[in-house]
Order: sequence, then C-alpha cells, then structure tokens
Amino acid sequence: MDSERSKKGRLIPLKTTLEVEARDRVIDVYIASIPLRQASNALNTVRRLIPNDGGLDLQHLRRFSKPSHVPLHVQATIASVKSPASGTENAESEAGELLLVVGSVESISKETIIESLCSVHTPSAIIITQVPLLAPTSQEQATRFSSQYWPTVYKKSNPFGPHPSLISRAEEELAYEAPKWMALAVAVAQETRAAGTGEEIGVVVLRRHDGIATPVAVAGDMRWLNWPRFKTGNPAAHAVLRAIAMVADGLRRRKEDAQLAAATSATGLFRDEPRGELEQCDSVAGDDGYLCHDLEIYCTHEPCVMCAMAIVHSRFGRAVFGRRMPRTGGLCADGELGHGLFWRKELNWTLFAWQWNNENEDSTAQKGDEDLHA
Amino acid sequence: MHEALAMATLALLGDETPVGCVFVHDGKIIGRGMNATNRTYNGTRHAEFIAINDILSQKDPNGLPLYGPEILADCDLYVTVEPCIMCASLLRQIGIRRVYFGAQNEKFGGTGGVLNVHLGNGKRVLETDYRVDDGKDASKGRCVEGDYEVSGGWLREEAIVMLRRFYVQENERAPEPRSKKERILKLEVEPMIEGDNGC
Repeated sequence: MDSERSKKGRLIPLKTTLEVEARDRVIDVYIASIPLRQASNALNTVRRLIPNDGGLDLQHLRRFSKPSHVPLHVQATIASVKSPASGTENAESEAGELLLVVGSVESISKETIIESLCSVHTPSAIIITQVPLLAPTSQEQATRFSSQYWPTVYKKSNPFGPHPSLISRAEEELAYEAPKWMALAVAVAQETRAAGTGEEIGVVVLRRHDGIATPVAVAGDMRWLNWPRFKTGNPAAHAVLRAIAMVADGLRRRKEDAQLAAATSATGLFRDEPRGELEQCDSVAGDDGYLCHDLEIYCTHEPCVMCAMAIVHSRFGRAVFGRRMPRTGGLCADGELGHGLFWRKELNWTLFAWQWNNENEDSTAQKGDEDLHA
Repeated sequence: MHEALAMATLALLGDETPVGCVFVHDGKIIGRGMNATNRTYNGTRHAEFIAINDILSQKDPNGLPLYGPEILADCDLYVTVEPCIMCASLLRQIGIRRVYFGAQNEKFGGTGGVLNVHLGNGKRVLETDYRVDDGKDASKGRCVEGDYEVSGGWLREEAIVMLRRFYVQENERAPEPRSKKERILKLEVEPMIEGDNGC
C-alpha cells in the first residue's frame, strides 16, 4: 500500500443512537412579525405568557431573526399572510421588523398571542412553522437546520453523547498516526487473506502512554482456519476477538510465569495464537486491571455486533474502523442495524469511536461483502 | 437448567461471575461452560464461548473431532442468565436452534434485555412494520436466516440468588477489590413482570 496515498483521510466521529433518533425531530411553533423597536417588550410579554417556554428548551434557536435570514419558504409564508391592503404601510415598516419565535403551538393559541401582543403592538403576521426540537450536535447540522427550518446555533455541546471537545482532543492525538495503524491493519488483513485462513480483515491494538502509541496486538481474521466451509466461519476467530485474546494471554503469561500459557492448539473454538508474519502480541497492557482498559483498537472494517460488544466488555477507550458495515456492524447508530454499541446509556462502558475515511477507497461495504460479519 | 445452575455454582466457587450453561443435543448434554473472564483475564470468555469450545474440542477414539460446528443447529442452549449482546450474536453467527435462559439481563442482554439480536440481528423494527391487515403481530412471521427461538424465566429465582451470592462474595481478582462485609444476601426475588421474559 502506498503510504503517501493512504495518509489522505480523516476521522469521522460516530453518532450515538440517541443522536440519530433525535436528529430530525421537529415541532410546530408560532412565529410573529413585530417591529424592531418593540422586540424586547414583545419577548417579555411572551415570557410571561408561556413561562419557561412551556418546558421546551429553545436555546438552540435564534429567538429573533431578520426576515431575510430565515429560509425562503418561511419568508414566503409570512408574505402570504400579510394583507395586501396594508401593503404600503408594510413597505415602510418591513425593514424595521423582526421575526420572533413565540412558542410551540401546543403551549398557546393564536388568539391569545394576538390578544396579548396587542398591548405592545399588533403583529403584522403570525404563522406556524417547523423548528428543530433539539439542539444540533455539530456545525454541519446547525447549518442544515438553519437553511431548512430556522436560524439555529451550535453551542459545541452534545446532550446525546460524548462532549465534542473531548472527542476533538482525542482526535488530535490519533489523527497523526491513524494512517500508519490503519495501514498495518490492512497489511495483516492481506496476509491472512493470502494465507487462505480468513477474510481480509485485520485489527491493531495500541496502548498509548504520554501520547506515544505502541502496538500490543496485531491480528488478522482466522475464521476459516481448521473450520469447515460452513455458514460464516468461526466467529471466535474474528480479528477483534483474537486480538483481545492475545492481549489477555500475554497478560496471563506475565502474571503467572507462563505456567498456564500452554500453547492452545488451533482446534476447538479459539484461534488465539499469533500465526502470520505480521501478527504479534507484546502485551504490556492491563497494568490497571481490566483487560484492554482504555486501549485503542484499529479495524479495517466496522466490527460485527459480537465484536463490537466484545470491545465494550473489554473496556477499550477508542475505536477506529475503515469500512462501514451497515448490515452487520455493531458500532454505528445510523447503519441498518442502528445498535451504536460504542455509546449506549444502558451499557456499563462507553468509548469514543470514529470511522477512518480514506479518500482513495470506498468507505462502505462493497457488493458481495455487505453480509460479511467483520 | 439445573445442570446449567450447577455450572454457575462451579463458577462461583472459582470466584467467577456465576453464569453457567449447557448445550443439549438429542436429550444429551454435549457441552458445558461457565464464565471464565477472571481466570483468563479475558472479558469475552463467557459461558457460551467456553461451552462451544468444549463441544468442538472433544475427540473420538481416533483423535478426530467428535462434533463439528454444524451440530449446533440441532442444539438447545440452557443458560442461567440471558445471553449478552456479544453471545447472542455469537449464537446467531454460529447457528443455534433454541435458547432457554433463567434471569433477564437488563444491562447487556442480547435476546430481549437491551437488544433483540436473535430476531433479525436486532434490527429496529418500525411500528408500522408490525401492523398487518389481520392485526396480528407480523414480526413473528418474518423469520430471517439465523433467527432463533428464545424463552426466558426458567429457574429465574435460583439464577438471581446465585448472582447475589457473587455480589456478597469478595473478589480478589477485581481491579479494585472492595470490602463486601457490609453486603447482605437477599433471598427473596421479586416476581417477574408480565412480558418481561425477553421473548
């Protein structure tokens, strides 16, 4: 693999299940067009009218917007409700008008709004429009919300997952060497494929200390090693499970002076011994007890549901994978399965996860590979 | 199920989380397993993995494997606690026929507790998909390859009390051993809620 070429890529943080579920929820709200000079009076009136916005959090929405800053369809709706008779008057005042998010249609009626705002200034238009119910979790999403619904602010927070600043800090640490480790995972995948013992899937486990990463296990897939061509091969020989077992075996050897580390023959279910040239296991992991605690794992493919959960059980800190596997993968929340196992409230461990998007490669499962369990 | 509980007891005696299981083929137990995560330092060595390894490691008098992986398609699994998401996926990929479990696992359960990996790999089914003209639950009829039957609540109280015994037992292998002298073993088990059996 051309190392220069493979460096062109980027880490894309995965979305959590909650984030995906919440992504496009919208509510109907009333928007009132009011004179600029009366803006703060109008807002005070609305605040008295609907205390706490009726329990909704609308902090991510611009409360006031210039008419020219809202999406065209909203501008059109407002224009359509303004009576043509008052046209001349409007022409004068329009420049001095602001659009105010009054509140959800459930919290108040149009009549009450008109009645109450009369004391300030009768709104020249009241319309109903859709706005995003929940705060955006990225700038891209905020931009999309702003052009689709209503001017929306991204506040660099994510109520549905890890805090964006933590992710970007971790990402800075990973980004520089990510191509190198992904290339190693690809190389061990090619090795195992060439040997005919498994699918072209590879994994690298790293331990990071003071910012410096050292590989502790490199493993390829061995699902066809001493296994009949039956179903999808040996699940326990998936690269992720083998890598975890290698770290464990190394730890056990160190702790028990090799007495228990009787070489496991490649029969039965487990295929834990390193076999290929590139495969290795220098287990220095686990000083703090839990196996794989806060280690990093790099996979050529999004791990299957079993392997994704194994990563959670083993308490890895960070996971990076290459190709998305929408039909079989367990990490993504926006694939066909939608499990998002890297970050779920129910589970007792969460980790950060990214997809490594290589510019030169197709980043999702290719034809014929969609049902592969990586 | 009593045999599975016996395996869980064995795990408890070895300071492991007391989960045990047996695989039954034609009315005969062909594999046994118990949680071995502490002994192996490997958090993925759950009872189901150990038992399948047991089945596939057995040799006939000529030194050849007694069973191949295809036998699992005709096996029933009896396990004291609902298989976790990882094991539920293992069972799906390796091909099992039926699973009977004791206690439900709200934390990690892969056959009802958290996900339903045994049905369509746990793919979220939209509410509209359930609605069919005759008003029956359509999800039951739509079997995907790899789906398996699951039935929970068997010897549930015994399985729960077993887990509680572990909870009050000191665990020297824990990364941060805690004193559990204050902990009291509770033997009453709350009744199962209707529809809470993970099926």
